[in-house]
Amino acid sequence: MDLMFDKLKILADSAKYDVSCSSSGVGRKNNGIIGSGAKEGICHTWSADGRCISLLKVLFTNKCVYDCEYCVNRRSADSPRASFEPEELARLTIEFYRRNYIEGLFLSSAVEVSPDHTAERILYCLRILRREYGFAGYIHAKIIPGVSQELLHDIGLEADRLSVNIEMPTSKSLELFAPQKKPKQIFSPMRQITNTLIERKSLQGPGTMFKGQDLNSPLNYLTPDQTLSIGAGQLRENQNKSAAGEKTALVRARKKEVFAPAGQTTQMIIGAGEETDRQILTTTENLYHTFKMKRVYYSAYIPVVSSPLLPGPFTVPPLGREHRLYQADWLLRFYGFSAGELLDDDNPNLDPELDPKITWALRHLDHFPVEVNKAPMDLLLRIPGVGVLSAQRILRQRKARSVRYEDLKRMGVVLKRAKHFLTCSGKYYGETNFAPDSIRNQILEINDGVQISMFGGDGSGLLTAGVERKKVEHHG
Amino acid sequence: MVDYLYDETFEGLLTCIYHHYYTEKASGIFPKDAYQSTMLGGCMEIETEEHKAVTVYEAIEKKISSWDLKRIYKVFMSSTEQKECKILNYVRLGFVKGPGIRLLHGDPIVFPVQEAEQKVNAEVHRMKGLIRFSELEEGILYSPIEPDHDIVEFLARHFSDRFKNEPFIIHDAKRNKALVAYHGSWYISHFTKENLSSHSKEEAEYRRLWKSYFENMAIKERINPRCQKNMMPVRYWKNLTEFQL
Repeated sequence: MDLMFDKLKILADSAKYDVSCSSSGVGRKNNGIIGSGAKEGICHTWSADGRCISLLKVLFTNKCVYDCEYCVNRRSADSPRASFEPEELARLTIEFYRRNYIEGLFLSSAVEVSPDHTAERILYCLRILRREYGFAGYIHAKIIPGVSQELLHDIGLEADRLSVNIEMPTSKSLELFAPQKKPKQIFSPMRQITNTLIERKSLQGPGTMFKGQDLNSPLNYLTPDQTLSIGAGQLRENQNKSAAGEKTALVRARKKEVFAPAGQTTQMIIGAGEETDRQILTTTENLYHTFKMKRVYYSAYIPVVSSPLLPGPFTVPPLGREHRLYQADWLLRFYGFSAGELLDDDNPNLDPELDPKITWALRHLDHFPVEVNKAPMDLLLRIPGVGVLSAQRILRQRKARSVRYEDLKRMGVVLKRAKHFLTCSGKYYGETNFAPDSIRNQILEINDGVQISMFGGDGSGLLTAGVERKKVEHHG
Repeated sequence: MVDYLYDETFEGLLTCIYHHYYTEKASGIFPKDAYQSTMLGGCMEIETEEHKAVTVYEAIEKKISSWDLKRIYKVFMSSTEQKECKILNYVRLGFVKGPGIRLLHGDPIVFPVQEAEQKVNAEVHRMKGLIRFSELEEGILYSPIEPDHDIVEFLARHFSDRFKNEPFIIHDAKRNKALVAYHGSWYISHFTKENLSSHSKEEAEYRRLWKSYFENMAIKERINPRCQKNMMPVRYWKNLTEFQL
């Protein structure tokens, strides 16, 4: 047991920088001996950094042949190494799961010997879990670039969610920081996962981005020459290219098999290279449009290793920036925004002081105020302070009776932001001039002290770190 | 107008609603043990009668909807202040509006009920994650909890499916009741901790592994206790394995 104690410590320690811990996306009754999947996902605890722990997130091994600059496990790093035996990891997962500590397993790995060698061990472990223990809980498997198509496919048949890390938001950074990983190697497994999901008619896009569209049409097959240009635009025209040739090559699946029902995700490191938020969001959008990923995760760069190429060891992780990027990511997936709308040449980075939706609204005041009793869903969603749930409630109540201003708060609308951008039966409730600067000032004053506390109780206000909070002069 | 006092059962509450329509209009409904006379108007203790309760139960199902009946039951199981009066108002409005009542999200009568229901749903969801079983000597899984609302029965379906081959007990230590389940079937019963056997041999080892794993997962550059407490209020920590030992 003491050996296990040390192994778990080492292998969890190296895995904790992986961002995704979600257990959502698959609703499944217990079709085995133990376990089930909750569609909405379940968080089991929250660690001291405030991140939720849902899955047992470990590396299978941290012995690595690669030497990526940013990684704790790179070959040249002097750190303790360990590997699990497939049997012992399966047993540990089950015992944790029985006690309801976890929702399932997140299995990643360093590259020991070769990608295929590592993938084989992972597959073996997952098969023990699924077949010997009858485990019907959630499994997220990380796919290592360079793994063979057959192994990837077999892992997909055991796992609920697959992910391939894109690591860096631009190919330039990737070349610089992870010279052994090639964009082609990263995109090929991503493409294979998407194509397999299309073939099985089970591809679901991210959020509500593709609502009402049939993603599973053979026209959506991705061809190998369809390379994703990361960091720049123009991919959308490609995506409908047919690839009938490849379709026939794919083996027809047995009926009962399920391949990665919760889809695929990816993650990238923010703040190691010199990318702008615009490049990051464009890459994100391209990933959603091309591979129909469920999520793209961001991970604020933490200086775990020192390297002349990387920011210094005392760099504060850009948590505020990460937070704003996630907000923008939500706008892409659930609110019908596009990356091009949120950021442009004049504004390549997100505003650290205000959320991206308000910033967008302030730049497009001609779209406002929106009348809550008339506007369709997509317009309601554009109002700062109105979320998906409150927009749905507004629409529902409108079927029965008109929405009054005092109803909005009870519907979950954040009035301190929303009041500047809407009218209720023709009446405007904002108290300032209807001009970007005066609205901005008012929202910021109310926000003072509230937004800062979102990060850290010491008041250091990482969100606004280094940003001089200046009141914009009123030009009204 | 009179205040009705009831015995804190769901049937009792429904009987009071019956009397509101057939005896005398209710100014409010209150638990009889905690009632404080207001000097205004009188009060009347109501004896729970099954057929009256059933009449109201069926009327809600038929004239409003079974969805709203479930909603009302959840609010009844909540610990919100004056839940009985909120339910009475909701039912009265529901009999006027019919199933359309659920559309009125901003209504001052609907909102408190919707809010209480949400609190119950939120705690049920939260508890699905925060329950921590310990293995007892006989191989039974046991978990003590102290939820804000009376939710053990709402956990039954989730856990009895997930752990269909494990015998388990979820014990609401605040209310001395427990969900007991095995092989997919379950019941709720009175329960106290007496005579509970001790932990199995392996239990301590897995607790140690879990606690160490939990502590290890925090990235020290991102430490943020405030966010942690926000997501997982401290009142739940007492029964979480990762904070014990």
